[in-house]
Amino acid sequence: MAPRSLTDARAARLGLAVAVVLVGAQALVATGWSLTHDDPTELALTTRCLEREKGLTIEETTDDPVAQSARGGTLRTIVEGNLVTLSVATSQREAERLRAAYGSGDPGPRLDVRGRYVALWLRDPSPTQRQTTYDCAY
Amino acid sequence: MRTDLTRHRYWVAVVAVLAAECALLLWNVWHYDWLRGYDAYANDQYASTVGDEHRLPSADESGVWHTPPLWFAVAGLLRRAAIDHGWGLPQRPGQLVAAAAGLAVCALVLLLARELWPERRLLHLVALVVAAASPALVRASAMYHPETLAVALAASGVLVAVHALRTRWTVLSSLGAGALLGLAGLTRAWALPVIAAVVVAVGIDALTRGRWIPVAVVSATALVVLGPWLVNEQRAHGSALAFNRPAPAGSVLTRRPVSFFLGPRSLRALEHPVTPLFRNELVPHLYADWWGDWALTWDSPPPPAPGQLLPSRVVAERARQAVVGLLPTVLALAGIVAVALVAVGRRSTATGLLPLTALAVGAAYILFTVVYPSTDGDTIKGTYLLMALPAASIGLAFVVDSLRPRTRACDLAIGAALLLFVAVQVPFLVL
Repeated sequence: MAPRSLTDARAARLGLAVAVVLVGAQALVATGWSLTHDDPTELALTTRCLEREKGLTIEETTDDPVAQSARGGTLRTIVEGNLVTLSVATSQREAERLRAAYGSGDPGPRLDVRGRYVALWLRDPSPTQRQTTYDCAY
Repeated sequence: MRTDLTRHRYWVAVVAVLAAECALLLWNVWHYDWLRGYDAYANDQYASTVGDEHRLPSADESGVWHTPPLWFAVAGLLRRAAIDHGWGLPQRPGQLVAAAAGLAVCALVLLLARELWPERRLLHLVALVVAAASPALVRASAMYHPETLAVALAASGVLVAVHALRTRWTVLSSLGAGALLGLAGLTRAWALPVIAAVVVAVGIDALTRGRWIPVAVVSATALVVLGPWLVNEQRAHGSALAFNRPAPAGSVLTRRPVSFFLGPRSLRALEHPVTPLFRNELVPHLYADWWGDWALTWDSPPPPAPGQLLPSRVVAERARQAVVGLLPTVLALAGIVAVALVAVGRRSTATGLLPLTALAVGAAYILFTVVYPSTDGDTIKGTYLLMALPAASIGLAFVVDSLRPRTRACDLAIGAALLLFVAVQVPFLVL
């Protein structure tokens, strides 16, 4: 049987097949990875940092519906004797929503919104207390 | 029914695309903060040293001392003139050189497509539009940076070589190709794999024609132009290909983790294609930066500090770019393979030169990123692969033109798809 001549269309189809295989292989690797691995969330990274680098004890937030509505999660800890509830927003809009929800209670300096982190302190925080949470922001 | 663009409509479209690209690049130059471009401050230190003191900078004076000097000489002289004549921002002429070179790259892509397939006007237009709307080219054309000038010079050299390979080599074409490629190498080291590809193609051509003079003249001319720089680097820094940091000790095979090669977070490139995600994962990092702006040096605030949030518009715009880039990327890959197959099947070195340049640039790039790993991912940039843009855009156009049904409706559909491809990107490409 005589070999088929390589027309432009045939070359293009072969090229497409190679490209689809390459891109498909990349997608397969990526899908396999995403199904078997979870990259740590900002909350998980912050929790690990507060525990391991700051030596703090992390607790679950139980009685704060505003914090519990944060899409990035929430945690509670005590920094130098001051209780803080940290919430993680996933967008600026959500951070503003959390600020507004807390703001109705007029928390003053007890509320500290910095990027994706919304911190509500039990008492006005000292600079070193604030810095502890800033150090563990991701 | 076979259809073809009429000659008149073809030229109207070509002029319209080039005029629009010219307007876009000029607009961006005027609206882009030159300091946000790659290595901008170091580039300015280099240009001022060459322009004011007529010498090369030392390693202490500019972080890009390892980059060849041609663009810096041009930008430095224009910088001096701008200061002397009070033209305002002294870096702007250097940006204008980059923009002019970016426009030249588009024109050269068109000329290369015309040289390889003179009768296929739709192919020419598709290649031109794809090159002109490539985010990596548009971004590089606004920067105070030598990349686009190097690409334009290298593409010019490749064009001369393709023409000579299709017809016959003359002394003038040999000297011209060698000189242009040498100048490209004197602008950016990324031209070296292109030079190597051209020499290989001309060598293969010489094997069949039995004429070795063109190989010798092209190589010798490029070497005469580029040689002094390489000798200077060897003498001053111990290597003709010196870089601004030493390569780490140990085997090349262990310098990058497996994730660098596999790109396990590739899917996230379609949804959140900005720093610091998938940093140093070659495929997603490169893809996100080619179609968007992974490092956030374009129309965005600088990369946020830990804990800070990017405006959602910035991420959404880049995610849209990443999705838009999927089909063109597949078609470009397919095109490079297809054109290579055609070249091998028909024993055409002229046709094979473009995929050969893409292969050489890709291999050199991977070698570079492996030899010089960086923790912050600064050696992975879409603009570093612009040397492969002519091959990618012409390859894409070849696939589209080869597989299209020859009907007017299909031609209109391709035209509409091109318009959509550009229109969707306009908010990102226009500053």
